[in-house]
Amino acid sequence: MWTWFHQLGSPKWFYELTGRWLPWLVAAMSLLLLVGIVWALLFVPPDYQQGNTIRIMYIHVPFASISLAFFPLMAIAGTVTLVWKIKLADMIAKTAAPLGAWFTALALASGSIWGSDIWGTWWIWDGRLTSMLLQLFLLIGVISLRSALEDTDAAAKACAVLSIVGCINVFVIKYSVDWWNTLHQPASPITTSGEGPNGPEIWVPLVIMIFAIYLFFAVALILSTRNEILQRERRAQWVQDLVRTA
Amino acid sequence: MVERIDSRPRSSTTTTAFVATLKRELILAYKRKHDVVNPFMFFLIVATLFPIGISPEPERLSLIAAGALWIAALLASLLAMDNLYRADYEDGSLEQMLLSPQPLYFMVLAKNIGHWLVSGLPVVLVSPLIAYMLSLPEGSYMTLFLTLLMGTPVLSLLGSIGVALTVGLGSRGLILAVITLPMSVPVLIAGTMAVTETQNGASLAGYLAIMGALLLGTLTLAPLASAAALRISVS
Repeated sequence: MWTWFHQLGSPKWFYELTGRWLPWLVAAMSLLLLVGIVWALLFVPPDYQQGNTIRIMYIHVPFASISLAFFPLMAIAGTVTLVWKIKLADMIAKTAAPLGAWFTALALASGSIWGSDIWGTWWIWDGRLTSMLLQLFLLIGVISLRSALEDTDAAAKACAVLSIVGCINVFVIKYSVDWWNTLHQPASPITTSGEGPNGPEIWVPLVIMIFAIYLFFAVALILSTRNEILQRERRAQWVQDLVRTA
Repeated sequence: MVERIDSRPRSSTTTTAFVATLKRELILAYKRKHDVVNPFMFFLIVATLFPIGISPEPERLSLIAAGALWIAALLASLLAMDNLYRADYEDGSLEQMLLSPQPLYFMVLAKNIGHWLVSGLPVVLVSPLIAYMLSLPEGSYMTLFLTLLMGTPVLSLLGSIGVALTVGLGSRGLILAVITLPMSVPVLIAGTMAVTETQNGASLAGYLAIMGALLLGTLTLAPLASAAALRISVS
């Protein structure tokens, strides 16, 4: 088990493994994205209340659901960095932070566009919106801490601590903001679980889109982690060989 | 780690270290009075800006009084945090604390408590006066005072993590704000909701319980994170 664990921590091994996986992941992602988007935009029947606006859901829900995964991911990677000092974990944590900020921003933006039509406003201080906005701020905090610390090792550990604290905090913020919101604004105009009572012609493309965006996330994370590996291991023999043959 | 040559039981030395750190923090604050006065003045000035910026009408002010006080206290606490480890970092006493055989957790806790006593407590004590000037509705004074009394230590303890992470950086004012302020949101929510909801007839006990839970949670966990962050920053 431990040899496997250490092997997984080797940047070179990760680079080679993901190099073999990437074509398959990209192919699956493209296929699912194509099917999902075409289905959602052309074939899903318009909602009886929201009309064609419902199609924004097929972008918004996948982005929103995956942006919740970033802090737990960074906290786990941070714990691995602190406990086992595995460099790869920090490389993943480093690339996950800006990705997480982008995904959160896209979830907010797509939700805002959706809301502008359905709620009649681009922004309300709804619990869910507020906690997403605060998560975006916390992610930006992690990114700016990383860029402020010059020493890679110190930055890795400091960001690991901040990610763990931030992960706990995101949950506390989530609950406190929901509590704040529900007392002040009892009825939320819509819920994201609105697809529940609807038939499979609504939720099957949504599931396809969720898988597609998850794959997109995996591909983006792997690609940027590979760049980070090359950058940090640039003095290693295998990277230099790789560059020479390329 | 340095071995303990002292043969006294550990608990007493830990207590000694705790008390010594606390005492040192208070003496240093007494010697550098401007560090204590500055955040306090900042709190007063920010609170003054609200009536000027929003409206001098008592009816409108009374609606925002609790929130304005909480935000002023939050910003004052953020401003005060900068002093927490900086001087110790610059003159090397922080390194001595890290090297000492006593658990860093208790020394960080002592520093946090000492820092709150000189920077947070004055703000809490003067808050009823400022609340009166901002026309806080009658009957909310006790709620505001109690929630600030329990909430400002949470702000200090959370801020301490941010300061510990950035203590080695040259210019860190903005980054400290970006890290710390979003984390303070749950306290801000609990504090301002306690005031507005007790005005509507809700019982105070529930809000104090939530505030107490936040305080106990950060009191036990935040010094752990601060200590870990200090070890990373000073290495």
